[in-house]
Formats: sequence, C-alpha cells, structure tokens
Amino acid sequence: MALSLLLVPPLIGGVLLLLVLRGTPARLCGAVAALAAALSLVGAVLVSTGRPRIDTAWVPSLGLRWSFAVDGIAIPLILLTAALTLLVVLHSRGVEPPGGTPATFYGAILLTSFGALATFTVRDAIGFYIAFELVLVPMWVLIGRFGDEHAPAAVRTDAANRFLLFTVTGSAFLLVGLILLVTLTGTSNLDQLAAAAGSSLSHGQQVLLAVLLVAGMAIKVPLWPVHTWLPPAHSTAPTAGSVLLAAILLKMGTYGLVRVAIPVVPDGFATIAPYLAVLAVVGIIWAGLACLVERDLKRLVAYSSVAHMGFVVLGLSSGTQTGMQAALFGNIAHGVVSGLLFMVVGRLKSQWHTADLESVPRALRELSPRYGFALVVGFAAALGLPGLIGFWGEVLSVYSAWTAAASRPSGLFQVCAVVAAIGMALAAGYSLRVLRQVWAGEAASTEGSAADPARDVSGVEWAVVAAMVAAIVLGGLLPAPVLATTGDDVARLLTASSTAGGMP
Amino acid sequence: MSVSVDFVVLLGVLAPLVGALVVLVADVIWPRQQRLPYVLAFVSLLVAVWAPYQALAQGRGDTTSTLCLPSQPTAVCLYSVSSASALLQVVAILGAFLALLLAWPSEEHTPADRTSVMVMLVLAATGGAVGVAGAHDIASWIIALEIATVPIIVLVALPGTKAALSGAVQLLTTSLISVGLLALAAAMWFVATGSLLISADTVLRSAASGPTRALLTLSVVLFLAGIGFKLSLAPFHAWTPTAYAGAPLPIATFLSGVSKVAALAALIVIIQALSSLGAAGVAAVAVLSVLSMTLGNLVALRQNDVVRLLAWSTIAQAGWIALPLVSPSSAATRAAVVYLSAYVVATVLAFSVVVAVVARYGQVRSGAAAQIPGAGIADLSGGLASGRMIGSYSGLLRRSAFLGGGLALALTSLAGIPPGLLGLVAKVGALRPVLAEGWWVLAVLVAVNVVLGVAVYFRWFRVLLADDPAGFTPGPERAHPSVALAVAIGSALLLVLSVMPAWLTNLLG
Repeated sequence: MALSLLLVPPLIGGVLLLLVLRGTPARLCGAVAALAAALSLVGAVLVSTGRPRIDTAWVPSLGLRWSFAVDGIAIPLILLTAALTLLVVLHSRGVEPPGGTPATFYGAILLTSFGALATFTVRDAIGFYIAFELVLVPMWVLIGRFGDEHAPAAVRTDAANRFLLFTVTGSAFLLVGLILLVTLTGTSNLDQLAAAAGSSLSHGQQVLLAVLLVAGMAIKVPLWPVHTWLPPAHSTAPTAGSVLLAAILLKMGTYGLVRVAIPVVPDGFATIAPYLAVLAVVGIIWAGLACLVERDLKRLVAYSSVAHMGFVVLGLSSGTQTGMQAALFGNIAHGVVSGLLFMVVGRLKSQWHTADLESVPRALRELSPRYGFALVVGFAAALGLPGLIGFWGEVLSVYSAWTAAASRPSGLFQVCAVVAAIGMALAAGYSLRVLRQVWAGEAASTEGSAADPARDVSGVEWAVVAAMVAAIVLGGLLPAPVLATTGDDVARLLTASSTAGGMP
Repeated sequence: MSVSVDFVVLLGVLAPLVGALVVLVADVIWPRQQRLPYVLAFVSLLVAVWAPYQALAQGRGDTTSTLCLPSQPTAVCLYSVSSASALLQVVAILGAFLALLLAWPSEEHTPADRTSVMVMLVLAATGGAVGVAGAHDIASWIIALEIATVPIIVLVALPGTKAALSGAVQLLTTSLISVGLLALAAAMWFVATGSLLISADTVLRSAASGPTRALLTLSVVLFLAGIGFKLSLAPFHAWTPTAYAGAPLPIATFLSGVSKVAALAALIVIIQALSSLGAAGVAAVAVLSVLSMTLGNLVALRQNDVVRLLAWSTIAQAGWIALPLVSPSSAATRAAVVYLSAYVVATVLAFSVVVAVVARYGQVRSGAAAQIPGAGIADLSGGLASGRMIGSYSGLLRRSAFLGGGLALALTSLAGIPPGLLGLVAKVGALRPVLAEGWWVLAVLVAVNVVLGVAVYFRWFRVLLADDPAGFTPGPERAHPSVALAVAIGSALLLVLSVMPAWLTNLLG
C-alpha cells in the first residue's frame, strides 16, 4: 500500500500530464506535478517506517516477478529522490519551460522520478534493468527538448544523444550481465542472490559477471574514463534536469553496484576492486584539475560531480563496512549538494544569460545575498568542510581506502587514499576559485554590462533553497541517523558475502 | 489407407484460400465493387482465426493434429499445430487484417478494377503463411511457403510503376533462388531420411550413420539459406529495401508482417525437427543472425526514407527473431515466437502511422511543400511532401498525440526500451537462450546491436518531438477512419502487452 503510494502517483501524474493535460497552462501542470510528488513523498516516509514488500508474478515464462521491497540501503535514496522531486517541481514554479509544453516538462520530471524510485525498490534482477531503463526517455526529453535556450539546437541534440547512447551502452552490458547471472544461478530474486553471495558460481564466472555488471553501472555513475557524457548533459539540461540527473540518476549507478554487483558476486568484485579504485582516484584528480580551469559554471559543477562520485566508488571498492557506509552517505551528500548548486547556478545562468566565469557579474554577496549565501554553503560542502554534509562521505571514504579489507591489496589502496586526499585539496582549490570570482570580487559598475542586475531569490524558491541549505548543515552536524539507517543492512550484506564467499 | 481429416483444424488454411476464391467469384458477379472484397476478406479472416484460437484456448503445450496416417505404428500427422505455431497463425491473420484495413479504399485512391485481385492475393498469401506453421511434411511445407510468397511478388508489382516493378523483379529473382535451394534441400532430405516427414524420429534415424548425416547437414544448410531469403536475413536480404520502397504501403506492411511469420514458421518447423540432431545448423543461425542485426542497423542509421528505414530495421529485427534459435530448446522456440509477435505488432503499427501521415501529406502536397525550409530540390518531388521522409514527422507528437504516441510506442518497442516494454521483454527472452548455451561472443555482439538499434529508432523518435517546421503546418493530423482503426488496434495491443507481457507469453505455456 505504502509502496503503491510511493510509486503510483508519479507514474499516473506523468502519464496524465503527457496524454490528457497537454496544452494546459503551466500553473495547473505544476500543481498536478506537485501533488503527485507530495503524495510520493508521503509514500516514501511511510515505506521507510513500515518497510513493506510486494511480490507477485509478472512474466512467469521469463521468471520475471513484480517484486518490490525496501531496506536500510534504499531508504535514504528513496527519501532523497521523493523530496528532491517535490523541491524541483516547486522550484520550477512560475518558469515557463522553454522549448515545449509545461505538461511535457512536468510529466518528464515525474516519470524520471518514477523510474528512479522503481530502481531503488525493485528486487528482481531483470526488473532492475527495466526500472534502470525507465528514466532514459524522460531524461532525454528533458535534456534535448527543454535544454538551455542559449545553446544551439545542435548542441542540445548532441548532449541528449550522448547521454542516451552512453547510458544505453552501459545498459546493454548490464542486460547481458543480468541475464547471464539469472541463467547461471537460476533465480532473479535479488535477495536470494545476495544471500547466496555467488557461492554457486566459479571464480571465473564471478569475475566475468562483475566486469559486465560494473561496466554497465560505471557509465551511469559515471566513472572515469566513461564520464564524458556528463558535462555536456549537465550544461545543456534545464535546472530541473540537472538536479535530477546529478542527485538521482547518478545514484542509480552506485546503488546498482551496492545492490546488484557487490553482494551478488563478492569474489568477482573483490578481484576487480583495485582497478575500480584506481579509476575512481584518477577520476577524482582528473575532474579536480578540469574544475580548476573550467570556465563554464555548470560544467564545473558537473565535473565536480565526477570527482564526488569517484569518492563514492573508492569507498565501495574498499570492501569494508566503513567504505560502504561512506559511499552511501556520500551518495546522499552529493545528491543534496549538487542539487543545491545546480538550482543556484541554473537560476544565475538564466538571469545572467551566461555561465562563463570570466564574464559573470562579480560580488554576488552584494547583488543577491541569499543566492550568494546558498552558493557559499554549496561550495563549502563540496570542498568537504567539516560540519557540512560533504565532509563525512569523503573523509570516511579516504579512511576506508587507507584501511581497506584484507582481501584488497593494501599498498595500492593506501596510495589511492593519498591521491584521493590530494583530490580533496583540489576541491578546495576550485571551490574557492569560484567563490572568489562570483561571490567575492569587486562589484563592477553595472553600466556597460550586458547582464541584467541579478534579482535575489524569494518566495517558494527561497524556501526550497533554504530547505536544501538546512539539509546540508543538518547532515553535517548529525550524520548519525543516516548512517544508522544504512548500518544494519550494510553489515548484513557484508557478513553474507564473507560467509558464503569464503572470505575472511 | 485412409487419411483422417479434421476440417475445423484446417480452417486456418482453408478459410483464407476459400475466401480468395469467393472474392474472385464475387468480382465476376458484381464487378468493380470497391468495398465488397474487403468485407469478404474480413469475414474469411475472422473464420480463419477460429482454428488457431481454439488451439490456443484448448491447452498449453498441446498440439492439435489432422491429416493423420493411421497405418504407421504411431499415427503420423501431416498437419499439426502446437501452441507456438497457433500463435504464429494468429499473428499472421492479424497482420493481414491490419494490412487490409490500411488498404481500405478511401474515395479517390485505389483503382477499383484491381481491388479484388489485391484482396485475393493477400488472402492467398495469408493462407500460405498459416499453412507453413502447421505443415509437417516437406512437400506441403514447400507448397505452403510458396503460396505465401508468390502472391506477394504480384502484390508488389500491382501498381505497375517503375519502382514497383523493379521491387517485384528483385523479389521474383530471390524467390526463384530460394525455391531452388529449398527444392534441392528437400531432395537431399528425402534421400537422407527416406521420408518426406519433418519429424525428430526421421532425423534421428538418418543421423545415425555417417554419409546420410552429412547429407542431412547439407540439406539443413540449404534450408537455412532458402528460408534466409524469406526472413531477409543477411546476406540474403538484398531484395528487402527495394521491394518495400516500391510496393504500396499496405503491401509493404503485409510484407513486413505476414511474410516474416511464414518464414519464421518455416524455420521453426525445421529447427524443431533438428533438436535431436544437435548443433549442426546452429552455428549458421548464429552467424546469420548477428550479421543481419549489424548490417540492418548500420544501414538503417543512414536512411532518410522511413519506408527504407523500416525495411532495414526489418533485416535487423530478423536477426533478433532468429537469435534464440541458436538453442534447440523449446523455450528458445517460444522466445523466437514471442519476439516475432512483438516485432509484427510494432512494425505494423509504425507502418499504419506512416500510411496515415502519407495520406495527410498527399492532400497538402501542392503549395505548402515549396515552403519547407531546408528541403532540397530532390526532396520536393517525392520527399518531405510525400510524408515518407523522416523530416515529415517533425512535431508529429504535438500535432496528433494519437499518431505520434502510436509511433513513439512502436519505435521504443522496436528499440527495446521503456515505454515499449513488450519489445524489451522480448529482447530479454531472446537473449536468454543465447547465454544459457554459453555463446559469450555472440551475446556481446548482440549487446552492441542493442545500442545500434536504439540509435536507429531514436533518430526517428527525436524528430517526433521536434518543432513543426516553420511555414509548413498541415494542421492537426487526421487519418482515414480505417487507418485510424488500424493505429488504434496496434497501439492498444502494444500498450496492453507492454503492461502485461505475460498475456502473450502465457499463451505458449
């Protein structure tokens, strides 16, 4: 019941908007979307307390089941997704989406949210693939159709297609991996697969499966060097699209690693984990350096996402409970921080008609103090300032790499930890660079500048931004509730894989 | 020796063939009727669907047989319908029904003197396709397959235009080669097995000794080549784009749907019998399948004429249809049948939308066409203005949620991504036997083709979402009622089966 309340409103709302309410004014569409998102959020709160389960046959001949459940690993992500969908819908209020009808815009947002929520709750391997694919078309529409009106149509199309084809390539690997997994083990139930922890598979089979599954997820995360779809997608997507992309879609990749790869083929994952860790830290450094020279503010935030997701993957590959916890916490932290940053940066870009760091107006603190404050909090969290939400995930992730599991090559992981720590310093560098350029700086005389004088945030939008700032501060001061939610299930997952997989 | 005949079981074959005769007789009595042949055809198709419907309703995995020879120790039946072949028959009849709906005469178009001939040929080909699915001896199998093919050649040639004739000539040439190969294969089969029956027993007996085994293997390879022509598997695909582009749209629809059913049915009959022989012809199936997929997708990526795009997409999809047959299990056969059903529903739906759009553009051809921005001179004669260029679909989703939505559903289903869940489930089913048999390399090549396929169909899908080209808005799309009905049936089927794929897969047990 609660699961239906979580999943059905975004689906029905999205379909309704796309098919029935075409051509209705933006205000009504926004209200319908907000209602659906609010109901879904109520559902999210209910499932996180009740932890219900649905399991019925769907396509018996393929062994496909309609199987949904909720556990501690998924709860923070479900709450994040549902809450951010509502915030994004509210934040888009009063903005006439360029390039298409408001109904399509809100419908695509709701369907993306539905796909993500389904991914986080589904407990069937093939069902996971289907849910994973559900977000494709709506997100593609958001990027290609409602993208930045300053970018030429060709750029938008290219960004949207790049997003689509990269993701589909990942999904194709994932599909082969999942079908192979189901064929070899004879079950598609993810709980059973996690409980068996690959005990019926040979080491070679586990490695093959791990490579296929991780390759599929890595594109979504995205891991260096397959991250190249992300910056164009972000810089052209509308604000709502960027927020959903960064805060929700990328999490589907890491969640997939935690749910489908690590517990199901622990041996295979352990074998490839060192490579994964190296790719992750290369991504951290690579993205950090890119951020130091990137001039487009939206692309900069996008690259910083690559770095943050690098920390998450580093934590996952360490094979320790701390690492997993750090990764799951880092997921949430990145979701909130990048969500806030994209909201602020997106709005500033549409006011300034540019996001070029060299030509934006300076002294945001004077022009629009509230935006300025939000930007400072966002970038402070992004650089991992203690007391803000970004800190825990990254520090714990580096710590977990330093004290990696016994099955991992400790020397290599310690090097990775050191390099990742350097990446944190880079994050401080680029964050302060942005703040110096945009927030500090001398207010240039507005005469002669083509830019509009920036209006400050107010009303509902200010409430949305303030809520996210509050989440960043609260998460930084009180990380315990989130860590406690995920803790038990992470521990269970790791013991299952160590007992069944025969690891120490 | 007496042969038992159960006419109800044979109804699927007999009704369309009798219907074809009735159409001709009616044409003699009341000449130049426009609608009467269609009405007769619909009635005979409705009667025809009764037999496979009964076979499906009766039980899962059961076979209904007739034309049995009682003299053998165990009764041997020349015509038997399993649940898989019954589903194929239903799909064939449904495809013919939808193609006829698309051809339904809208006032000025069809020349009336050819209507009855056209309808008669469609019925005959449908009867052949239904027959192939049930035939279990080589002679009637080949005859049914040719009954399913020959009328199509005439159908393609019927408009008499240059494009139609060149399509028909290419189809005729390949059909002749295909018949030759099949006849040779049949002769070898007879020599190897000493029997005209296609059954596991006869195969097992002849596979026991070396020389006959070699002959049987060669015969199977020739069968595969012959059927490859019909299923348009690469490298036997060359006729497909020419024939599709030259034929009238309803006939191209028929060609992409019903004749593929006949070909797959033929392939399954052979593969089923060979399940006892092991992996002899299987490697060939794997090569043909992945070759067609790759070639079809790559060429489809470059097509701007949507009919040619659908033709090359058919070649790619034929690879998918044949893919599960690398495993001789019955689950693999079911997967192929499910894939084919999903493909036929989606492709026929796409064609229906094309017919609607072409009809719409036909009416505004003069005048507005000259204003299309970016249209080259070559396009103006028969390009954008004909509704067959990808550009003509620009903004279709906004002009008509009905047509645009239907096409979007069809394209996503062919690509195998949500919301076209039926196509996705079919692809999952098709991949499973491949991995179960341990064909890693094949699976990876297929995965690459999943991506290529998405690229192909999204090239078209993207246009649906785009803006109307400025200065060229033919207004809201409104299709002829019969075409609209075909789109509605196709969309409804695809939508319902996307939500509940089990309703399709459960039919096969």
